[in-house]
Amino acid sequence: MTASPEIAEVLAGRPATQAVVDTVLEAWPEHAGYLLKSFKRRTPEMLEATEAAAVAVRKLMGDAGPQIAADYRWTCDRLRDEELFFHREGRYRLSTFAEAMAEVYSDHAYMSRYVNGLLLTQILWFNHVATFEMFLNRVIGASSAPFDYLEVGPGHGLMVYFAAASELSRRLEAWDVSAVSLRETRQALDRMGVEKPVALTEVDILQAAPPQGGYDLIVISEVLEHLERPDKALGFLASALNPGGRIFINVPLNSPSPDHIYLLSSPDEVTALVEGAGLAVETMELYATQGARIEFALESRVSVSAGVIARKA
Amino acid sequence: MTPEAILAQLRELMIDVFDVDDLEVTPATTAEDIEEWDSLSHVRLIVAVERKFGFRFKTSEIEDLKSVGDLIRLIQEKTQ
Repeated sequence: MTASPEIAEVLAGRPATQAVVDTVLEAWPEHAGYLLKSFKRRTPEMLEATEAAAVAVRKLMGDAGPQIAADYRWTCDRLRDEELFFHREGRYRLSTFAEAMAEVYSDHAYMSRYVNGLLLTQILWFNHVATFEMFLNRVIGASSAPFDYLEVGPGHGLMVYFAAASELSRRLEAWDVSAVSLRETRQALDRMGVEKPVALTEVDILQAAPPQGGYDLIVISEVLEHLERPDKALGFLASALNPGGRIFINVPLNSPSPDHIYLLSSPDEVTALVEGAGLAVETMELYATQGARIEFALESRVSVSAGVIARKA
Repeated sequence: MTPEAILAQLRELMIDVFDVDDLEVTPATTAEDIEEWDSLSHVRLIVAVERKFGFRFKTSEIEDLKSVGDLIRLIQEKTQ
C-alpha cells in the first residue's frame, strides 16, 4: 500500500523508485506534495534514468532505509537553513575549504547523515535526475568508441558504476582528496556489484602535477562548488584529456549547501570558467529545482544544475 | 497597515516568488492550497517579505507560520 496514489500513478512500472518513495514518505509524509511535483515534471527518459538509479540506490540502502530516509529529511532541514542565509545575504555562508573542513567534513556524525541524505536526492530531486539522465544518454550513451574513464569525487559511485556498465568502457579510475571517501566509494561499488575493476586513488587535483593525457572521458559532478579554485581543477583535468576526449562537468548555480564554498550564479560564469581552463563547451543543459522555468530560476536565484560537455579547445 | 492592505501586497509577492500568473489568496490559504508553495519557495517568500516590509523574522517565527493569516498577523506586529 503506497502512501500517495498520485505518485504511484506517475511511477507505474517503476518499482525501485516507488520503493524509495515509500520509504521516504514513511519518515516524512508531508513531503508527498514536493515529490509528486518533482516526478510529474520528468520526461519518460528521466523517469527511466530515475528507475535505473533507484535500483542501484536500493542496493546501497540495504536494510538501513528508514535511517537513510530520516537522514534525507534532516539534510533538507540543513539545506533550508542555508537557503535562508543565501537569499538574505546573497552569498554562500562558507568560503574556504578550511571552514568546510572544520564545520562539516571533520564531523563524522554530521557527514554520515548528510551523505545519506544526498544519496536520496539522486532519485528525488528533479535537477539531480535530469543531469544524471544527461550523463547516461548524452555522455556515456553517446560514446562510439572504447574509452578510458576518470571521475573526480565519485561519492556514492553511481556514475562510475554506470560507466562500468557500458560495453565501451575500458580502464576506470576515480580520484578523491579523501581516503575516507574513497573507502566508502569502494564499499558502495561492491554493494552495487560493479562489473569491472575500478582503480580508486587518493589525489588532490589542486596540488598534483597535471598528467599529459590518459583519459577519453572525464567526469566531475557536484565537485567544483566545493573547491576554492575550480579554475585550477578544470585546468588540471583539461591536461588529463586525450586528444578528442570529452569532459562532463555537472555544477550547480545558486545552490547553498553546508559545504558549498564557490558560488556560480549564471550559465555565463560557467562558460567562462570552462573556457578559462582551455576547454570548449560543446553542450550545456540547465535544469532547475523542481523543473522550474530556467529564466525564472536564474532571476530568482533558485538552484539550477548545469550539465556541460566540453572538449579541449 | 490594515490586514487587507498587507494581504494585497503579500499576494503580489507570492505571484512573483511562485512564478504564477495569478493567485487567489485569503488569510486561510496555506501551502497545501498552492502547488508552488513548498519548503524552498517558502524561504524565498520569507526573504521577499523581509525586504518588502523592512524587518527580519526569527527562526522560530518562520517555523510557526502555517497560513497567510499567520503571516499577516506577524507582519502587523513587526511593522507597528
